[in-house]
Order: sequence, then C-alpha cells, then structure tokens
Amino acid sequence: MTETTKTPDTPGTPSADAVIAPDRQGLIPLPAAAARALTLVGGIATVASTFLAWTWTADFPGDLTVYGYPGGLQWLTLVGGALVALFALAGYGVRGLGWLAPAGPTGPAVLTALGALGVTWYTVIAIAVELGGLVNLEPGGYVAAVASLTTVIGAFGLPAGADETRRAKEAFTAYLKAHGRSRLRLAIAGVKFLNAYIGKPDHIAAPQTVPGWLQRLAVTAVTMAGLGIFSYGIDIPSEEGETFIGYLVVIVFAVWALHTAGLLDRFSRLVAAHRGFALAMGFVAAILFPFTQTDDHYANIGVNILIFGTVALGLNIVVGLAGLLDLGYVAFLGVGAYTAALVSGSEFSKFSGVQFPFWAAALTGAAASLVFGVLIGAPTLRLRGDYLAIVTLGFGEIFRIAVNNMDGVSGPDITNGPNGIPSIPDLSFFGFNFGTAHDLGGFTIGRFANYYLLMVLIMAIVVLVYTRAADSRIGRSWIAIREDETAATAMGINGFRVKLIAFALGATLAGLAGTVSAHVTYSVVPNPYQFAGAAPPNSAFLLAAVVLGGMGTVAGPLLGAALLYLLPEKLVFLQDKSLLAFGVALILLMRFRPEGIIANRRRQLEFHETGQLDVPQQTTLTDEPAVTKAGA
Amino acid sequence: MTTPVLEARDVTMRFGGLTAVRSVDFTVNSGEIVGLIGPNGAGKTTFFNCLTGLYVPTEGTVSYQGKVLPPKPHLVTKAGVARTFQNIRLFANMTVLENVLVGRHTRTKEGLWSALLRGPGFKKAERASEERAMELLEFIGLAHKRDHLARNLPYGEQRKLEIARALASEPGLLLLDEPTAGMNPQETRATEELVFAIRDQGIAVLVIEHDMRFIFNLCDRVAVLVQGEKLVEGTSEVVQADERVVAAYLGEPFEGEPADDTGTAATAEETDTADETDAAPAPPETPAAGEDTGPDTAEPDGTGPQSTASTKGDTP
Amino acid sequence: MNTLPQQLANGLLLGSMYGLIAIGYTMVYGIVQLINFAHGEIFMTGAFGALTVYFYILPGGTSMWAAVPLMLVGGGIVAILVAVGAERFAYRPLRQAPRLAPLITAIGLSLALQEVVRNFYPGADKARAFPSLDTTHDLGSVTIKDADIFLIVAAAVCMSALAWFVRKSRTGRAMQATAQDPDTAQLMGIDTNRIIVVAFAIGGFFAAVAAVSYGLKYGNIDYRMGFLMGLKAFTAAVLGGIGNIYGAMLGGLVLGIAETMAATYINNIPGMQQLGGQSWANVWAFCLLILVLLLRPQGLLGERVADRA
Repeated sequence: MTETTKTPDTPGTPSADAVIAPDRQGLIPLPAAAARALTLVGGIATVASTFLAWTWTADFPGDLTVYGYPGGLQWLTLVGGALVALFALAGYGVRGLGWLAPAGPTGPAVLTALGALGVTWYTVIAIAVELGGLVNLEPGGYVAAVASLTTVIGAFGLPAGADETRRAKEAFTAYLKAHGRSRLRLAIAGVKFLNAYIGKPDHIAAPQTVPGWLQRLAVTAVTMAGLGIFSYGIDIPSEEGETFIGYLVVIVFAVWALHTAGLLDRFSRLVAAHRGFALAMGFVAAILFPFTQTDDHYANIGVNILIFGTVALGLNIVVGLAGLLDLGYVAFLGVGAYTAALVSGSEFSKFSGVQFPFWAAALTGAAASLVFGVLIGAPTLRLRGDYLAIVTLGFGEIFRIAVNNMDGVSGPDITNGPNGIPSIPDLSFFGFNFGTAHDLGGFTIGRFANYYLLMVLIMAIVVLVYTRAADSRIGRSWIAIREDETAATAMGINGFRVKLIAFALGATLAGLAGTVSAHVTYSVVPNPYQFAGAAPPNSAFLLAAVVLGGMGTVAGPLLGAALLYLLPEKLVFLQDKSLLAFGVALILLMRFRPEGIIANRRRQLEFHETGQLDVPQQTTLTDEPAVTKAGA
Repeated sequence: MTTPVLEARDVTMRFGGLTAVRSVDFTVNSGEIVGLIGPNGAGKTTFFNCLTGLYVPTEGTVSYQGKVLPPKPHLVTKAGVARTFQNIRLFANMTVLENVLVGRHTRTKEGLWSALLRGPGFKKAERASEERAMELLEFIGLAHKRDHLARNLPYGEQRKLEIARALASEPGLLLLDEPTAGMNPQETRATEELVFAIRDQGIAVLVIEHDMRFIFNLCDRVAVLVQGEKLVEGTSEVVQADERVVAAYLGEPFEGEPADDTGTAATAEETDTADETDAAPAPPETPAAGEDTGPDTAEPDGTGPQSTASTKGDTP
Repeated sequence: MNTLPQQLANGLLLGSMYGLIAIGYTMVYGIVQLINFAHGEIFMTGAFGALTVYFYILPGGTSMWAAVPLMLVGGGIVAILVAVGAERFAYRPLRQAPRLAPLITAIGLSLALQEVVRNFYPGADKARAFPSLDTTHDLGSVTIKDADIFLIVAAAVCMSALAWFVRKSRTGRAMQATAQDPDTAQLMGIDTNRIIVVAFAIGGFFAAVAAVSYGLKYGNIDYRMGFLMGLKAFTAAVLGGIGNIYGAMLGGLVLGIAETMAATYINNIPGMQQLGGQSWANVWAFCLLILVLLLRPQGLLGERVADRA
C-alpha cells in the first residue's frame, strides 16, 4: 500500500506575513517598541549576568562563583542571551543584521529567549536543589533568572502575525478538546501552540546573489562553527552532566530558532549549490576534530561515534533506502571484527601465526560479512519483508551464541568463547604505528586520534558509496521497492536481486567497519554483538540511531549515532536506562515523527519557487516528537 | 497491419476447485487499441494477472511477439509489456522524474559497480535516461512538475504519470487497468486523447474498463468476458448490439450459463492485483479460516465501488 | 539405556510451550499481517505477573493446588493487559502507516518491556526464583515432573478451547472473516477493532499459560526469557504455516522435538562432536527456520504467503 500522508494540521504562514506590520500584536499585549526594547535589554542583561557569581561554592559543576568571568553553564546562558539580543537587533532593522532572519525575527527571538530561559532557570534550580536551598544562590543568579524571564516576556510581546496567534490558540484548544486534559497533554498542547505561533513561512524570499567565494566562505564558517560546537560538547566532562543538559537545551532551541529564522533553508540551499565543496569541508572539519582535543580520551569518544555512525549509515542503505528491516546488523560488524582479529596476528587468535596486512584484513573481513549477508539474505529476501526482520534477529542471536561457544570446550575452537580474542596488535602503515602518539605540527595525535583519522577515511568511503548508490539506477530501484514492491516489479525490477544487493552491500560495509573497530578496541568479545545490550554497538542502538536521525539520509544516522552515544556517555544517570530510552524513542518516533530528526527529501523540495503545496512535512529540527504532527 | 503482438491461447486459470478463467483465446494486434470488459467477477483481473506474469496460467500460454512470456512480472515488463494499476501505485515519495526513471529500469543496465565508480559510461547512460524521461513527461504534460513528489500530484496527473512510467520501459504493448476510474468526464476525454496518441506512436494498447462509453469510443475491438469465458469479441458496434452482453450486464440469465459458478468467480476476482508479489497462485482461502464465510463476504466489496464507477461513466 | 523416549517426551513438552506462544504470533499475523515482535516480552510479563501473585499477593505457604490457578489468572491478566495495551496504543495508530513503522514499533516495544521489567521489578535484573513443581513420576523409560503434566494438560485444554472458539463461536467466525478480508468484514458489520483486540488478548493469555508452565518447569524466570522463546515460537509459527492455529501447535511440536534431538544426538555424528548441547540447539532451530523458508515458505500447514500490499 502506498503511503498516505495527512497534510500538516498547522501549516506555516503565507510568506507575506514575514514582513511585520506595525499593528500586529504578539501574545502578550505590549506596544511593539516596548516589546522590542524589553527583549533586547533582557538579552543584554542575561549576557551581563553571566559575568556575576551565581553561587558561592565551586561544588556546583563548572565553577559559577567567579565575578568577571563566566564558567560552565554560564557560558551557555551567555550564548542564549547573545542570540536573543541579536535577533532583537535584527527586529530593529539594524543594517547588516537583516540576513539573520529572512523569515522574520519574531519566531527566532521567541525560541532563543525560551532557550535562554530554559538553560538559566535550569541552572538556578539545579543549584538550589543540588546544594540544598535558595540560600546557595548569589545575587547574580537572581539577576540572570529575572533577565531571562524579561526576554521571554518581551519576545512574546513582539508583533506576530495575526494568523499565527489565532492558529496557535486554535491548535492549543483543539488538542485539549480532542484529548482531554492531563499534565502531559497540556505540555503537548503547549508545544503545538508554540509551533503554530512561531511557524515558519512556507516560502521565504530568495537571498540576494552574493559572489561564489562569499558563499563558500559562509559554508566554511558554518562548518567550522559546527566543529567548534561539537568539540565543546564532547569536551564537557562526564561529571558535569548539568552542563551537558544545558548544552543540549541551548542547541535544540538555537537550531529550532535558526530553522524558523529561515537560515537553515538558506544554508541547505548553499550546500546544494556547492555540494562537493560542502562535503569536502565536512571532511576537513572531521579531520580537524582531533586537533581541537587535548586529551586522547575525547578522541576515543570521537572514534567510537565514527564507527557507530559509519555502521549506522551502512544500515541505512538496508533500512532507509531499500526498506528492509535488518535486526541482526551488528552481527555483520562482528563477523568483520572477528575475521580481522583472527588474521591480526594476535597470540590468542586461532591462527596466531597469520598476520595479514590491514588492507588484506579489511578485505577479508568485508568479504566474510558479504558471504554471511548472502547466506542470510538469499533464502529470506524472496519472501515478504517481515520474515527478513525475524531471520536477521535470529541470525544476530545465533552469532552471539556461536562465538560464545566456539571455545574448544562447548564447540569448535575458533573464537575463544566469552574471553574473545585480546591483544590485537595496533596497525602500522608504512612505519606509521597507530598505537603510539605522534607529533604533527605542534599537535599531539594520540592512539585514538590515529584511529579516528583512519575511521574518517572509512566513513568517507561509506558516505561515497551511500550517496553514489542512492543516486543511480540501483538506488532508485531500492527506493521503488521500498515504496511499492508490486509496482516496482511491474516496472521490470527484479525485486529479489536488488534487495539482495542492498542487503549484501550493507553487510559488507559493516564488515569493513568491524575490521577497524577490532583494532581500536584491542580485543573482540561476543558481548557487544547482540541485539540489545548495555553498550553499543548493538543492533537496537544502530536501528535507533538510523530511525532517530532520519531514515534514508546521510547525515541522519551520523547525527543519531552521535546523540545516542553521547547522551549516556555524558549523562551518567542515563546509562542504565539507555535501552529503555531507545525502546520508548522508537515507539514514539514511529508514532509522531517517522522521518526522524532530519527529514529526507525535504531539501530538494525547498528549492521550488513554484508556490506548490509540496513542502510536505514540518521540518522542525528537534527530537521532541510532540513538536510535529505531520507524517504520523 | 495485423501482426499479433500479444497472443493468449486457451488460457485457463484455476484456483483449487474454482475456475476463474476458462480457455480464453485473445489477441492484440500491433497498432490496435483493444478493450476488455465484463461484469464484476468475470475474471478480468485474473486474466490480466495471467498476462502480466503475476499468475501462471493453469493451462494455455501467453506469448508476446511470438515468444512465450515468462511467469515473472519483471521479465514480462522486460519483454515489452508494460502496465498500470487499477488503484494507482506510484512511488509516492519519489519525484515525478524519478518515477519515470524507475520505469527505465529494464532499458538501462548500470549496476552497483558502475554507480560507485561513475565512469563516463554511467554518466552518459544517466543523461540519456533522463532525456528520455523528460521527453515522456513533456508528452503527458508534466515536465514542469518534474521535481514534485508523486504523492502531491492531483489525481488525474497521478494517472498520467503512471502511464508515463509504464511508457518509459519502451513497451510494445501497454496494459491499462481501469485508466479512467474516478475521473470526471473532462479527464476521461483527456485520457482518451492520450491513449490515441500512444497508439499513434506504434504501441498497442489493451484497456480494461468499466466505463462503456469510454471503451466504445476508444477501442478498435472489444472483448467481453463473462464468468471466466469470452462471450463476444468484435467491434464496438457488434458488441453493443449483442444481446447476451446486455443480459450479462443486467444480470439476466442467458443460454449456456454455467449454473454453479456465480459465487466462485466473484471470489477469484477478489484476489485482486493488490494481492500478491509471489508468483504462486493464491488460493482464496486463508488457511486458518473456514469455508463458511469466504464467498459471502467477498461479494459486496467487489460490486460496490466498481459499479458506481460504471454508472458514473454512463450517465452524462 | 535407551534415551529416545525420554528425549521425545522432552521435545514434546518443549514443543507444547513453543506452540502455546506461537498461537499469539499466528493469530495476530493472520488478522493484521503484523509480526508482533513484542510477543516474547508479553510471555515474559505473564511470567512476572504470575510471580507477583505468588510472592506478593498470596499468603506464604499457599498450596500449589490453589496457587497455580491464581497465578494463571494473575499472569493472564498482566499479559492480556500488555498485549491489548500494545495493540491499542502502539499498533493501532499505525495501521495505515508504511509497513516498516509497526515493525520498528514492535522492536521498540520489545526493548521497552524488557527494560521496564529489569529496571522496575524488584530483583528482576537477575534470574528470580519461581515456585516449581518438581515431583517426578516414572512412566517406564520416561520420567516427567508435575510441571510437565501441567504443561501438557494446559496446552491440550487451551488448544481444544481455541479450536472450538474459532469454529463455533460467533466471535470466532467473525475472526475468520476478518482474517480473510478485513475491509469486507467491516462492511458486513463486524467490529474489526474488537476482533483484533480479541486476537491479541487470546495470544496474551496463551503466552501467560506458557509462561506459568515455564516457571513451574524451570524454577526461575528473568527479564530476557522472552527473547529466545519468542524467537523460537515465531519459528514454530512459520514452520507450521503462519496464520494457521493448528500449524502453530504442530510447528511448535516439530521444532521442540527437532531441537531436543539435535541437542542430544548431533554430537554422535562424526565431525560434529562439539555441536550438541542446549546452546547449539538454538543454532539448529535457526537453521531449521532458514531451511523451511527456503524449501516450504508457506509452512507445513500454510497455504499461502501472499503479500497483501
């Protein structure tokens, strides 16, 4: 059956409304001038407050006790306040800031103000709760709380389109009427209200033409800013869970604000215009990451994110493009890892005398995964898709059982059972030993950073494979099969054949990534290669990464893997609950936002200036499922 | 010109004990537009599925340009028989252009390696495919919407796009399954023009339809299928004049009616085009379910929407 | 001594358990063409429901004659609630969604149920003791426990009741009609939503019966018990022909016997000395699934594996 999609029930506003007419009022009835001033002053005051001490003791993470210099969460408040101030200034029509909000500054101002409010109040409340009482707040904390509240009041007083206000109220009451009241429902209705209130117009004015070099410069700047923001997040120590939460709050609201401001649309336009350049910049940024790190531990996080992201991208070929649910994908990673370990020359390997050069080990690992992929795929892909899901689930479990038992006691002696194969030697290319730190132009590149760089290369290969395959005859036939297998067959597509190609390709890429991961982790043990487990990569983690990030996109699985890996890494209290969170996230995502954070194919559609009804989904960039209604 | 393009010889299709199609001989000649009509449950869809490789006929053969068609839908398309679906089956989340490009699948052969390596041959083939696809889009008048998602097209344009997609496989014979279902008179007329234009390109067309007026305007020859058997075949005038056809449509008994088959033929029709991707003939009974509910429940669904479609076509 | 009769009995017992769980897969599949991956976890929650009744509700020292029926009721209520809740809140909103959506939801549900039990049920992160019925009876060359008798009787009663229900009762016949064609059934005045709920509920209850048998037989349960059991019960359902309730039982029995035989005898085959035992039996069960899909994808009693797109 073909997919039917409801039209979004809160459509954006006509583009004409982007220009703010003076007689329009916001939600809070303030004169426009007063609201603007309030927002701006509040934003500046919020920034200023971060230079004050918020508490008296350095017990609270990030040391918020210093006058004259922000620390920890204060930096995040500062960013939030600065963003509000910027959008407020853009609202004044300050020359040179117009580009900040091509779709009108009100929505972004509201969102950044909420973000600043969120992070500030979160900090203040966290101080009071963790340290035991409001007495622990220094005056600076109160200033910050009041200032951020002022910005929100001001921002909601900013002139908004009459349509938005009306629609927002309707959305709120309609939801409550339909579903009844409860705390959760009220919150959902609140998000619906907000979403309609700050709704981005469907069409924003085309940008002025700027010279190509400037466009490239913009792409470069954004990429580097992205690298900086990402490094900042990675560098937050895991003891400072509070800071990481603040970081997430600011990012979510800032990205949402950039989206409503129309800047994300502009940026994706730029990227599309300079595709090769943008891709290259992405890789430059990825390569630069270890140089921003002082501690190899963070490069370890980086390499893990890359491995899991790459594997998730491979899974995305299978799930996102061809629509085949592979629940044992991690087993193919395991096949690659075990193969590489066996031929690595480790003394615990069954073939300890054998030591393949890495390229040969990588090819062997990929080939072994390919063989298993075909063995599993060939019998099942002739049948309807559900069988594949359960057979791969079984295969994943069997893989774990088999490697656990092939220890020479309860099975043939191959994998050394639960102990796995330890002491896998480090790689060495042309005398470059991956196991030791190297100095490169004043930067120390540690062991994990070495592997990180190797993984960037592998990821580049996988990204290339993904994009090239997707944009070709074979990729189109995968998508056609996913959309409607009967119709695809009637168009002359040999469904079994192309599905098998997708499945085997996915398996091969996983095997390839597995060979590197075996060397990164020194040892291979059966435990991570199961359907669901405490530590990634398990199949549930990979699937959740793909679904959360966005099926059928390149950036989605990478983003999803990064998020899902970082969250439990940085928020220690989540570690025990991460599987629970994956499960709940999968259910909620399928219900409310099946396209994930990054919606596929929306980019293309936004290039139309034809006034069509095409913009199909709401394109909010947040992972709160309740934010969006479309496509459910 | 009377070279036969499609020849069905003595095609019989049985599901278990039921005979849905009984020794039907049927020919489509090159440059011809042929209509296939019949009341609900007459076995039209089953017959259609035999032609397109979804079912393997129990007896008899279907051949295209003298060669027996292989019983796999994708091979049938490759051989040169393209089809559309009664309930539109576009690739909803692909763009208009991509939909047509998928139709080019059998006429291109770049595999995974060539897609990954992107040699000059690949680029050339992609460009050629795209040019051909754009020609087709211009032919049906959707070139300006090449980058729209198929699901966002209005109904009539979706029908057209489905035809363009089928034409992209460069068929010698196009099978249209109720191409005007749900269309208003203007759209129906436009479709009529389109079918003539396709025929003028040298492609033979076989149309299954309920809309009598449409069929009789369009077709050089019309065959009537009743209860799995071919009742009449001839020009529109001949068929319209045949009282057995009228009787069959009005539900009156006529001579030689196989008395026991009424319910069973309807059930066979129920296993609709939508029903299968595997080529195995699907017996209409679900294993767990007993016999008592099958035929009775099947009937109303079959008659409902289709009969309204035909009355709509007949009234204006 | 000849171990064959004992192994056959073991296989039959294991198979009845698979069959009981497989009913849930097959009924739901027959009606809505959905593989309810979370069914294994429904089985697991049934076991914990029964455990709750025994440890937290009944007074200590209650005789097993009184306890077992109450545990069945408790486990059944929990499993039915979970199954019906899953249908109502997770699957039903997705009935018109692309096919991948309910499958992914099912996976998410399965994870979530496991983790909820692990995180919130006292002591469930490790195996928990379950009251067992260990008294043994010697029947010639076969020895069976009380728990085995319970299992065999429960399976027989459940299957007969289900067969009667599907054939004779009004709801059962409506169920068959819905399985054949949900749209038409709806037009005929059948409340398909109700039928689907009934299918989920029956599946849930049967899983609970299997879960109580499992606990009584093996003496402990844990939050992961549903995963492998669910996987194999699904294999049983496919083996017997998915959609066919008799097939589910037959598939369960065949799978149980094949698995037991493999565990016991395969290491007698030269060259496969180390491939016997319970862990490898899982591998053989899986190989059997692959073989069935390859050779007879419609299963032993199934008649069609048509894709209702």
